[in-house]
Amino acid sequence: MEANDIILSGILELYATGSASAQEVVLVQKYAAQYPEVAEELAKIEIDMERYANAYAVQPDASVKVKIFARINNEADKVIPFVVGNIKKPAKVIGIPAYWKYAAVAAIFLFLSSLAFNVVQYNNNDVATQKLQQTQKELAVLKDDNKVMESDMSVVQNKYSVPVSLHGLDAAPNAEAKIFYLKNTGEVYIDPSNLPDAPSGKQYQLWGIVDGKPVSGGMILTSKRGDKYRIQKMKTFGHAEAFAVTLESEVGNTSPKGPMFVMGKL
Amino acid sequence: MQNLNKYSEEELVQLLQNKDKPAFVYLYDNYAPALNNIIYRMVEDVSLAEDILQEAFVKIWNNFASYDKSKGRLFTWMLNLTRNLTIDMMRSKGYKKQSKISGDEISVHNLQDHSISITKFDSLGIRKQLAHLKPDQRIIIDMAYFNGYTQDEIAKEIGIPLGTVKTRMRTAILELRKMLQHT
Repeated sequence: MEANDIILSGILELYATGSASAQEVVLVQKYAAQYPEVAEELAKIEIDMERYANAYAVQPDASVKVKIFARINNEADKVIPFVVGNIKKPAKVIGIPAYWKYAAVAAIFLFLSSLAFNVVQYNNNDVATQKLQQTQKELAVLKDDNKVMESDMSVVQNKYSVPVSLHGLDAAPNAEAKIFYLKNTGEVYIDPSNLPDAPSGKQYQLWGIVDGKPVSGGMILTSKRGDKYRIQKMKTFGHAEAFAVTLESEVGNTSPKGPMFVMGKL
Repeated sequence: MQNLNKYSEEELVQLLQNKDKPAFVYLYDNYAPALNNIIYRMVEDVSLAEDILQEAFVKIWNNFASYDKSKGRLFTWMLNLTRNLTIDMMRSKGYKKQSKISGDEISVHNLQDHSISITKFDSLGIRKQLAHLKPDQRIIIDMAYFNGYTQDEIAKEIGIPLGTVKTRMRTAILELRKMLQHT
């Protein structure tokens, strides 16, 4: 018999619907092993029938599943094979009264609900913890920022603070800097936020003009953006007549050599 | 107990051969409703059908080693096992196929049929499509597949020659396939 004749005969359909005779069952299995086309067509018919069966599926009572799993979980059940004739009233074999079935179903339902609830809660908790950690990190950063700001403001708002504007010179006409000179202590602070970024290898240096001579007030940090906006404490001069900022090599100089950017008188 | 994994037929078979319980939960969730209906169509008694379904699944679990995938798909094997079990059960009880159905059982059946049908796919949509199947085609499929008639019984019941059952069954299933493709 050719594969195509087998397919056209309808024997595969009988096999898949379970109406084939014992003899035909053996034949179909032989053909399917012999001809791939037959096996393929048979699989198609089987899938058709599966879909047909599913279209009319009827959910059994939940207790059926409970009973089945109770039985397969019980090892003893494996040893004693099921004998059809021995069971006259299968419903009575287990002998569980109806209310116990409902109780079991209810208990399982409650257990699963609580399990699901816990899983959801656990996940939620996890997410919440992550969010909290994130927020705490952000808060720490903000707190640091705030501290800096507070210390900056304390300099600006200090009642002894004398602000000195340093204005741009030829090297950088738009540059500006501010000195805060504390009259009572002689401390000197600089706000370099309006100085252009120092080119690499160079750094700004503050000078105080004391008795007509420049005295170094220290290096001004502008390379790191975070530091640039900070009001920085510089060296104390005693009494300076004026302040100036020059661009020097990174290590600084004992006397100004680079171009002067800003200057202002006290 | 609901198993949310999805298995291919091959994976499922392998897992079940290794007595994997989650796979068996999946098997039950996916196939028990269809088998339940097939048993019900044969015995026409809701609680008896569920008892047989229970026996069938315990048997499927215990005898899984005897499933041979070269002989067909898993569902076909389960169906044949279930059908044979049902026939044995009916014989032992002296059941007749045209047994009476009480009004209660019909209503229970219908209730379950509509309210808790499986959600795996749109069975209602498919049923709508299948409503277009010609009555004589539906009858021959249902007699064989849902009621467990042999081809001799079908031939006698419908009054057609035995040889015609095969060809008519093929035509009917080809028609069925066309309708399933539209869903």
